[in-house]
Amino acid sequence: MKRIAAILALVFGVPMVEGALAPFLPAAFRPDLALLVVFALSLSWRDPATGLVLAAVCGFVVDLFSGALLGQNALLSVLAFVASRALSVQVSMIGALSQMIFAAGLTAVHAIGIVGLTALFTPGADFTMLRLAVLAPRVGVNAITAPAVIWLVSGLVAWVVGEELSRRTLRIATSRSWVP
Amino acid sequence: MTEIRSRVLLAGLTALLAGFALVNMVVDRRALAQGGRELSWWSGLALDVAVPIQKFVAMPFELARGGWSDYVALIDVRRENTDLRAKLAETEDENLQLREALLASGRLDRIAEMREEYDVPMVRAELVGLDASTWFRSVLLDRGRNHGIHAGMPLISDMGLVGLVTATSRNAAKGMLLLDRQSAVSAVVQRSRDRGVVRGTGDGLVFEFVGREADVAPGDVLLTSGLGGVFPKGLRIGVVSSVEDASAQLEREATVDPVVDFGRLEQVFVMLRRSTTMDLLYATEGGDQPDPEDGAKSASSASNAKNAKKGGS
Repeated sequence: MKRIAAILALVFGVPMVEGALAPFLPAAFRPDLALLVVFALSLSWRDPATGLVLAAVCGFVVDLFSGALLGQNALLSVLAFVASRALSVQVSMIGALSQMIFAAGLTAVHAIGIVGLTALFTPGADFTMLRLAVLAPRVGVNAITAPAVIWLVSGLVAWVVGEELSRRTLRIATSRSWVP
Repeated sequence: MTEIRSRVLLAGLTALLAGFALVNMVVDRRALAQGGRELSWWSGLALDVAVPIQKFVAMPFELARGGWSDYVALIDVRRENTDLRAKLAETEDENLQLREALLASGRLDRIAEMREEYDVPMVRAELVGLDASTWFRSVLLDRGRNHGIHAGMPLISDMGLVGLVTATSRNAAKGMLLLDRQSAVSAVVQRSRDRGVVRGTGDGLVFEFVGREADVAPGDVLLTSGLGGVFPKGLRIGVVSSVEDASAQLEREATVDPVVDFGRLEQVFVMLRRSTTMDLLYATEGGDQPDPEDGAKSASSASNAKNAKKGGS
């Protein structure tokens, strides 16, 4: 139960906190925490199916607290999770440098995804977001923040899983004591 | 065999989630095209829960900002107060002259008759959060359907147009700011009456208009034109800061500085219905034409009067 609550608090809480702090930080220099959490989950969450659902939920929550169409960030979160998971099998993501490089690439691809989907669904929307001056700071901020977010999320996941394991051990010990 | 099965299941789950997201996008787009939507119970509940949480999270930052703006930043307030008093005197004088102009054009009587229409019911709402995504510009408001707010209602501040309510829950609402890349508002140049569309660019506004002969110059004030029926006529949008070269192409663009300081926006007013008086003030088409001799003067005076009233309200 604690495990579910902690992880749900993460995927629901991060977009809420980001929305609350947004008035105090310019958009260009605000890390996309939800995207980074999805990236971190793809690296640290063992069961890919549950991780995929969590990524989708996180995306839906972002959609709910943003001007995007409901489902836009959810779709991109699912794709980001799959891409990061697939790449992490091939390339080591243990070091901070590799995490930063991948977070930078993911941010750029995510921006293209946002533009593409917005163009598809909202004809006439402005797409200056793909200009280097707009994209570069966001890519930079996400790359710098990525290792810290991955460290925190993987720590949370380890703590949650570790606590579950210890409780299970305790139960086994208790049941053993009943064995004559 | 088990590995292949789990991979197939994973691919199926990915396709299912992606398909669900796409269907949601289509439904959402349709709803937005019809003026917005009222959120489903689960998303509405999430929004309602988020409002107090966001207020709580932002509280220390608000306190820090309040401490700065209420104490540290008040050093120059005496000088500013003197300047404002001088400006107020000038505005009162201008207001008097404009009333005279309105009286001369015969519009004041009609406006007096429609006075109750001018009192558009509004609901004040506090901004509790901005966009969770860094690519869009929307706001979360602490008032919703229980306060009479519905999707499609305009958001304004004391300075001018802010945006539009796009979704509502029982006690919260989501609004799209003018700056959003999906935002487009039909606008008219106050001075020359040339029409165009003001679009958001994420960080600013551009005014797109057609024709090399269009009379748009830096310093021109842009107002909502009322076309499309979403926004009332005559709300201030921004001031033209630069216009691109006329020889470039048929469709031209001007950069616009919004009149609303979106960075400092803390509360907005939701207009619960349109005012017909706003249309009367700008009645350049239809049967309310002023005398040809002073037509241009009257229209300009009326526009200024409207803005003077808005500024004072």
